[in-house]
Amino acid sequence: MKRILTLTTIIVLLASMLAACSSGNNGTNNGNSSTGNSSTNTPSTTDNSSSSGNSSSGEKITINLWSFTDEIPNMTTKYLELNPDLNVEFNTTIIATTDGAYQPALDQALAAGGKDAPDIYAAEAAFVLKYSQGDASDYAANYADLGLTDDMVKDAGIAQYTVDIGSKEGQLKALGYQATGGAFIYRRSLAQDTFGTDDPAVIKNEIGPGWDKFFEAAAKLKEKGYGIVSGDGDIWHAFENSSDKGWVVDGKLYIDPKREDFLDKAKLLKDNGYHNDTEDWTESWYADMSGTGSQPIFGFFGPAWLINYVMNGQVKDTHGDWAIAESPEGFFWGGTWLLANQSVLKDEAKKQAVADFIEWVTLDSSDTGLQYFWANGTMKEGEQGTKDSVASSVVMDKSNGEVDLLGGQNMFDVFVPANANATGKNLTQYDESINLIWRDQVREYTAGNKSREQALADFKAQVKDQLGIESE
Amino acid sequence: MRQKGVSYAKYGYIFCLPFVIAFAVFSLYPTLYTAIIGFTDMKGVIPKPIQFLDNPFQNFKDLLFDNASFKKSLYNTGLIWIINFIPQIVLALLLTAWFTNRRLNIKGQGTFKVLLYMPNIITAGTIAVLFSALFAYPMGPVNSFYELVGISESPINFLQDKATARGLVGFIQFWMWYGNTMIILIAGVMGINPTLFEAATIDGASDVQTFFRVTLPILKPILLYVLITSMIGGLQMFDIPQLFLAGGPDNATQTASVFIYNQAFRGTYMYNRAAAASMIMFIIAVVLSLILFYFMRDRDAAELKKAEKKNRKAAKAAAREV
Repeated sequence: MKRILTLTTIIVLLASMLAACSSGNNGTNNGNSSTGNSSTNTPSTTDNSSSSGNSSSGEKITINLWSFTDEIPNMTTKYLELNPDLNVEFNTTIIATTDGAYQPALDQALAAGGKDAPDIYAAEAAFVLKYSQGDASDYAANYADLGLTDDMVKDAGIAQYTVDIGSKEGQLKALGYQATGGAFIYRRSLAQDTFGTDDPAVIKNEIGPGWDKFFEAAAKLKEKGYGIVSGDGDIWHAFENSSDKGWVVDGKLYIDPKREDFLDKAKLLKDNGYHNDTEDWTESWYADMSGTGSQPIFGFFGPAWLINYVMNGQVKDTHGDWAIAESPEGFFWGGTWLLANQSVLKDEAKKQAVADFIEWVTLDSSDTGLQYFWANGTMKEGEQGTKDSVASSVVMDKSNGEVDLLGGQNMFDVFVPANANATGKNLTQYDESINLIWRDQVREYTAGNKSREQALADFKAQVKDQLGIESE
Repeated sequence: MRQKGVSYAKYGYIFCLPFVIAFAVFSLYPTLYTAIIGFTDMKGVIPKPIQFLDNPFQNFKDLLFDNASFKKSLYNTGLIWIINFIPQIVLALLLTAWFTNRRLNIKGQGTFKVLLYMPNIITAGTIAVLFSALFAYPMGPVNSFYELVGISESPINFLQDKATARGLVGFIQFWMWYGNTMIILIAGVMGINPTLFEAATIDGASDVQTFFRVTLPILKPILLYVLITSMIGGLQMFDIPQLFLAGGPDNATQTASVFIYNQAFRGTYMYNRAAAASMIMFIIAVVLSLILFYFMRDRDAAELKKAEKKNRKAAKAAAREV
């Protein structure tokens, strides 16, 4: 009987261990995770020396880094290259945001705590609010407690909207390295044909400011047989991020007049054939980037990353035929924010190491700061990498944003003011889910399956049913 | 102590143990846990101390009387299941009849069976990607074909149309599972005593008669199994609707499982409502299974039992009287 008992306990223990492992390592590819190997773990060292330059004989400080792309892990490589005598190593976990796998895994890791808990974690624009201001914001350490002050933010000239998004009640908890203010990216040849010039300064006034001028331009383009945008999703980002209020105000669903206006503008686009009626991130959307859709498409709304990471691989023969001008309405789209776990504050050495890295990524505006490399595409030595618009306007001012795809135009001329136009005060942590429902209903309306009232009523009903958020 | 012989009973229990433990840890505990959180206020990302609601059935009440989306998801589940199951069982029975027919004696049966089973091996994710590529709008293979043949002049947004979307999801389910159903039915037919078929042949029964009068009645328990597993599978239908259309357009393919997933793991993380919805689904599955069992019961045997009971009663009564 005893033996059976032991056997039973062993099996149960094994089973629960398996369960614990599978939840912790699910989908991660951390190379040197030390799960179940407690011998290497030294309880918080009394090593108070600051980590920079001081290669003490003590144990290496391990920083657990959680991210959804390999961007930040690659930065750590560069960081360690620049600071070879640093006593720090990064233990990275990458989980893609596809299928919504990243958030649940991160939430669990944060809740579980312990020495494998994430010390630094990344969050994307679509869900950063949850971690900086929303339900999960209690896990995040204040930047001030890490020794990263508001003055440093001011000195680096960080775009205000990234600060707004990263702050809870005035306390900064997250900052990004990118600035994702958006512009209108258009085809030079089609501009020549329609407006007689491809000069961004002129085109800017043809398509904006404001949506009325934008639709006047759309009509002109239509006469020539061109569509102004690829699908209604393209203008949505400009509507979403220029509205005065977000989806949820005082716990109730609120439809901002500007967002409601999107319903009519989307219908206008569809009824007049101003677009190819594509959905973003589908094959036909990409096809419009190389001008191989049913009608040539004049332009796209997007930030710098859309040009360099998405369009770059899709434009094919139209490479160099693009230019950017100010959007009819200021907006931003996407971006990555960095947060530090509250628990790193307990260990002085770790806190310093974490703070140093976050400072280097988000606030260092010198020529050896990450953002300078990032903006100029010099992450890899001797190789022209992808240029991107960054959060620090100090860095942007001294960087060169000339891009071949845009026919040599310096994109920072447009993006620096665009970053200032973006606002981060109209986001909520439920945006991802609510946007899905909203866009679905807008498509129902523009396709003619529903009346405007019905679409709005169904939208409200579905938000209530699926998210438990009542409408006003 | 004196022992009479050796009892082997304990070995039976020991061999059962691994399953019982695995079941208790991975199935029974989660199920009971789900049942309990349905009555609580557990929601939100960060675990908070949970409390039972003042009205324990509040979540159930909200779902059943105040949530059009949930009702619609139940309707979708039923509709898509019917679209999928009727052609599935008909085709599977037809193929079974052909493959097991001694007179036809189809050659290369093994190859056919493998080929027909093939769609089931492909993962749902792949099939979802395949179909969304096929029916892509405004440019996609099916749209190009329509224009080529001249059925339509402008591209059609197939996946925006509710009937088409539901039909496609139903079709994918049918296409993935008819091979599986066929294999089970063939196995069932193989288990029938061949002498019965021989007897039928000698009596001059045609193929059709043999199928309906001999094969089907004996196959009844297998059919019941197929019906119930397929029904439970249908109630849990999740992967194709979620991966193919994410429940859209306008929630036309949002099945109950997709609804539950969205409640629990998206947006506001309402674990309690998701758990309550799961329990409602559980009850629906039990009720439907019972109904199926009732209709598929062996009527002759049941009548025989009844008659026996009556006889016994009569005998008893007679005995008392005497």
